[in-house]
Amino acid sequence: MKELAQLLNEMQQADVIRNYALFGASAQMRYTEPVATLDAAVLVAVNSAERPDVLRDIYDFCAAKGYVPEGESIRVGAWPAQFVPAFSPLTADAMEQAETADFEGVAFRVVRADHLAVIALSAGRAKDLTRILALLESGSVSRDSIKSLAARYGLAEAWQRFEDRFLND
Amino acid sequence: MLERQAQWQKSRQALTWPEKIRMVEQIRESVRQLRAHPQSVPR
Repeated sequence: MKELAQLLNEMQQADVIRNYALFGASAQMRYTEPVATLDAAVLVAVNSAERPDVLRDIYDFCAAKGYVPEGESIRVGAWPAQFVPAFSPLTADAMEQAETADFEGVAFRVVRADHLAVIALSAGRAKDLTRILALLESGSVSRDSIKSLAARYGLAEAWQRFEDRFLND
Repeated sequence: MLERQAQWQKSRQALTWPEKIRMVEQIRESVRQLRAHPQSVPR
């Protein structure tokens, strides 16, 4: 994971990407107990967003450093890294407002807990709903903060359904 | 049993983020090795 952090910082310094932030289960683990996951998901802002092959520059940069594609990911050390362009207002804000963590001495941008919860709410799969519960249980995010953030992105009803289903007696 | 589980959960949450990531990496590596050498799995 440290290798991925270094690669992403180099990619940003080389202006291949404008910004990035780790999200998904790997980011969740910053706030909760460890969870099983297959890959490391990274939100990226690319300079060539209007091109059909938006990830081309990223793949070229990685290939030049010896990191090769593996399915829909690029293997970086122990981790298949999946690059996801931040196109929606929610993911773009989550990436821009990410925190910079210290990962074994390397700066690593990570999506905040409240944004992780609302991204999970918008995805709505079983594992996403479990993620919200884990973030709440860890105390890294409150129901009120998720509620206000969800409302900002048109997810107030989705949050109400989640509360009714899992949190309200 | 519930008290023990709560204590284990607390101890896992107390790990640093890199330690948690390392734990997942080790589990994945163990699974990879077991898949590569299934005969080493206790029957």
